[in-house]
Amino acid sequence: MATDSLTLPKPATGVIRIGTDGRASIEGFRCRDCGGVFAEQTMSCRRCASRNAPEAFRAAESGKLYSWSVVHRSYPGIAVPFVSAIVDLDDGLTLKGTLRGVDAAAVRQGMPVSLVFDDAGGARDKEGAPYVGFHFTPKGDA
Amino acid sequence: MSDVYIVGADMIAFGRYPDRTYYQLGAEASLKALDDSGLSIKDIGAVYASSCFNAQSMLGQKVLKEIGQTGVPCINVSNACASGATAVREAFIGIKSGIYDAVLVVGSEKNPRGMLGGAPHDGPPPEGLFGSESMPAVFAEAGMVHTAAYGTTIEQFAQVAVKNHHHATMNPKAAYRKETPLDEVLASEMIAWPLTKLMCSANVDGAAALVLVSEKKARELGMSRAVRIRASMLTSDPYEPRNPVMFDCNSVTRLAAAKAYEMAGLGPKDLDIVELHDCFATAEILHYENLGLCGEGEAGRLIDSGDTALGGRIPVNVSGGLLSKGHPIGATGVANMVEIVEHLRGEAGARQVTGARIGLSHVLGFGAAAGVHILEKA
Repeated sequence: MATDSLTLPKPATGVIRIGTDGRASIEGFRCRDCGGVFAEQTMSCRRCASRNAPEAFRAAESGKLYSWSVVHRSYPGIAVPFVSAIVDLDDGLTLKGTLRGVDAAAVRQGMPVSLVFDDAGGARDKEGAPYVGFHFTPKGDA
Repeated sequence: MSDVYIVGADMIAFGRYPDRTYYQLGAEASLKALDDSGLSIKDIGAVYASSCFNAQSMLGQKVLKEIGQTGVPCINVSNACASGATAVREAFIGIKSGIYDAVLVVGSEKNPRGMLGGAPHDGPPPEGLFGSESMPAVFAEAGMVHTAAYGTTIEQFAQVAVKNHHHATMNPKAAYRKETPLDEVLASEMIAWPLTKLMCSANVDGAAALVLVSEKKARELGMSRAVRIRASMLTSDPYEPRNPVMFDCNSVTRLAAAKAYEMAGLGPKDLDIVELHDCFATAEILHYENLGLCGEGEAGRLIDSGDTALGGRIPVNVSGGLLSKGHPIGATGVANMVEIVEHLRGEAGARQVTGARIGLSHVLGFGAAAGVHILEKA
């Protein structure tokens, strides 16, 4: 159908890639010279300034919680509370996301978490295409 | 190269000014600083104007339209919360280079209402979906790293607010001048754990101004109330592996502090007073260590000891800080220096730090920039 291309899922945030098989992954970039890891493609290496452009890699889907906050008040219209989490993935890339399925009082630095791809809260663009997002859950939970 | 002196320093009372423009506020602060220096706008060789939200509107020129259009260069700067310190540093360079004998620095802001921040994005709104980009959450997360490493408690963070609000009761120009005991701080609305509303900076309007001159001009005016700028430093954020996912408020400040101490030939132990960027209570704890006021991991104990309160070993944010004096973004860095100048002159009234001779002011701009100035009684 001519409209198929309009309903393909879209990344809800810049680090998500959607493969030709429709599967989502996180893309990181690693400097070929110093090994510095970044969540964005840059012209030169942020860390060592090498002009050898960092190369893309498919990021790990598990990691450890580095820091968090339980957000009780946010911008107008945002559902609260939620846990804002900073996660160090196992391969050195750091992501910020929402940690779900956890008792806020039990959140601790270093707790293992899994990256879970989702439908970005059911959001659609103006042509009706769905978005792909992600969140974290305590490791072992789905 | 000439040393650079501050000979005029003043600010308007921070608060809400719904019926006045940001440039009217800036003009009022400018006239007060000029009057304090004994100079006229006709003596001023250049204007350095800072604002986060209005720098692009030719703030400096708009101020001159209020107080006298002398045709001098106006340099309008914007560098997030470090805008004011950036303007002072550029003014410092202008005098240091020998181009000007006297310049005016003015910082002025009417903050937007509500919670600041939230960059535009493609796709669905990220807030709540991909964590939080709100400033309280960002600084809560920075504080929780300290908690995880050193066991810093919510009560220790809250004590920063208790202290700074107490200080503000002695500052007639602070926006909020009410004692807020610990139980009140802890019981106020939770914004982003561990930060309650009273642990977040006050979103207000304000303006502050300084007159900077060369040594030659300072001698003409008389040195009795002059303050020397021993160090003027500005940094951008160096590479940190978690940045920008996790805003790094530490390394950019540590870099600025190290370079400022080097430039001044002084260290943290030489300081008598500090005004640092307590945009949130967690930030003040982190900056104790970033500025070298205590050792690594000791900041929680430093607030408990009372050493950073008025009367303590190294009073911090005696003005009331951003938490209670208020945080009009582009004016903040200039106002921090106005506070230090008042203490070094011995003119700070009830909140005077006795015998203060050397003070440090620090601001942190999200994105990131840090400004550190070290001032000395001339």
